[in-house]
Amino acid sequence: MSRLPEELVELLNDPASGKVVGSTDEDGTPHLVTKGSLTTLDGETIVFAEGFESTQSNRNLIRSIWFNRKVSINVTRGTTSYQIKGRPHKYLITGRIFRTMIDRARERRGPQADIAGVWVIAPEEVRNESPGYRAGLAAAKRGHFHNHLDVLREPE
Amino acid sequence: MIATKEAGLAALVEKYPEVPKSIILKLDLQRRGIAFTEATAEATNDPYYRGPEQTAFSAKDPSRRPLPGPMILRDGTTVISSPVQGQFADPYTIDFVDGRFFVIDRGEIIDEVDFSPRPEFYGKLTSRGVPMESIAWSRPQRLDIYPYRYCHYWDTRDQCKFCAFFTDLKQQKQLAGASYARVVHPEDIYETVREALKEPGRYSQINLTAGTDYSGEVPFEKEVDRYIEVLQAIGRNFKTRRFPSQLIAPAYTKRQVKRLYDETGLSSYCPDIEVWDKELFRWICSGKEKWFGRDYWIQSAIDAVEIFGKGNVYTNFVAGVEFSKPHGFTSIEQALDSNFEACEFFARNGVIYLSLVWVPWKGTGLGGQQQPPLEYYVRLIKGLVEIRRHYGLASDNDDFKHCGNHGDSDLERLN
Repeated sequence: MSRLPEELVELLNDPASGKVVGSTDEDGTPHLVTKGSLTTLDGETIVFAEGFESTQSNRNLIRSIWFNRKVSINVTRGTTSYQIKGRPHKYLITGRIFRTMIDRARERRGPQADIAGVWVIAPEEVRNESPGYRAGLAAAKRGHFHNHLDVLREPE
Repeated sequence: MIATKEAGLAALVEKYPEVPKSIILKLDLQRRGIAFTEATAEATNDPYYRGPEQTAFSAKDPSRRPLPGPMILRDGTTVISSPVQGQFADPYTIDFVDGRFFVIDRGEIIDEVDFSPRPEFYGKLTSRGVPMESIAWSRPQRLDIYPYRYCHYWDTRDQCKFCAFFTDLKQQKQLAGASYARVVHPEDIYETVREALKEPGRYSQINLTAGTDYSGEVPFEKEVDRYIEVLQAIGRNFKTRRFPSQLIAPAYTKRQVKRLYDETGLSSYCPDIEVWDKELFRWICSGKEKWFGRDYWIQSAIDAVEIFGKGNVYTNFVAGVEFSKPHGFTSIEQALDSNFEACEFFARNGVIYLSLVWVPWKGTGLGGQQQPPLEYYVRLIKGLVEIRRHYGLASDNDDFKHCGNHGDSDLERLN
């Protein structure tokens, strides 16, 4: 696995960032959940805690690790946004990373907070989805033909 | 015996795309067994993994490195399998390369695995000076306690013919005495559990089982009293009336089961039927047949549902032992029919009929016999899960993270 961009690592490690995990059910229907615990511990993989074994999201992730399906993650803060596509690599029920994540859950949510397990996602594709970055790319690729003219007009 | 050409892991993954590879692999790891490379033996002796000095299946042996806890596959599936030398004809190899463990088969990497880490209570002593790692053993999310380490079925040579529990298989005798204290003091259990619970998120269930003791004015009464005393000692560690727990024990009377429920915080009861067929039960489990027969065991499980509730009563069977020579089934279809009949019957009555893979340990009454092919196990777990799903049952007490012995409950994670 390769190193994630530094800007993304900083975003992942910021508790103020919005973090969403997208998975699909058996029929391919998308399912989105926010994951406040989502972060990176090694700068290469994404980890997040799962609260309950029986959630729709968790079942989708189990299906993904069993049958080699992808999941999608979005991390956003202000106008900086990244999308990560990858595959569930591990589901941890004990060990060092599990311990780190349960300790963090209890720091954030109190001593009674609990987690069922920790998903480790191996990224396969990282996209900078920040509007400014995408606008620059779009302009470079397609020119101004898709802009509204009022955006281009000379200010009075 | 079984007229089926054996299909291996890869072929069955392709043939049964609805069954995940990890679960088929688990079944085969248990069926064929495992062997450690020297690198793995050394790596698992690291303080992070190092296991207890002895287990329920081994005498204390200073010349031998302790074995680590159970293996864990990438999806979290726990696998109970021990790399016992000389036991397995064709085991998978577990190798350690560049800081990671891998399952290897005939030189090919099958997948990455890990082992359950050493719990923090190992190496500590109770106030009576007893090593805590001799009181309780750790699975990834489960604490195993064996309060009585002697099976009296052995007294009359009526031990279950597949069983290797607390047994010196070479000498064909129980280990209690020189290697183990036969009875574990409830206060040592209380203190060990108390210490184990200090580790955040380490356990989500306590499991009790032991050798069978049918003594007492009413048969099994001494054993029931002992379990109640132990469960009450464990219960002092919790602020809730009930705590996630399971007792794997003989079939008791309804009154005895009710005492266990009313006088302790126990949440699940599991009298193991071991093998469903009437004649095979009589032959393979002659001790259970004597105390007091198959119908009694079945009725005990059903009666227990009234007390513990639907889905909180289990009965395990040793899948594959039904093929044992000379009385066992000779066809896969016969064996599947028998086990599906059992699963249906128990499920209809709120009991979970759960499979575990038979390992014909050398030295047991059925040692060295041929196991059924891997495909039998794949078909078996699929069928069991379908039946239980129909009856709204799920094996939360014995699932992928708590036990490690049951491919069928592993498959229920999508339910």
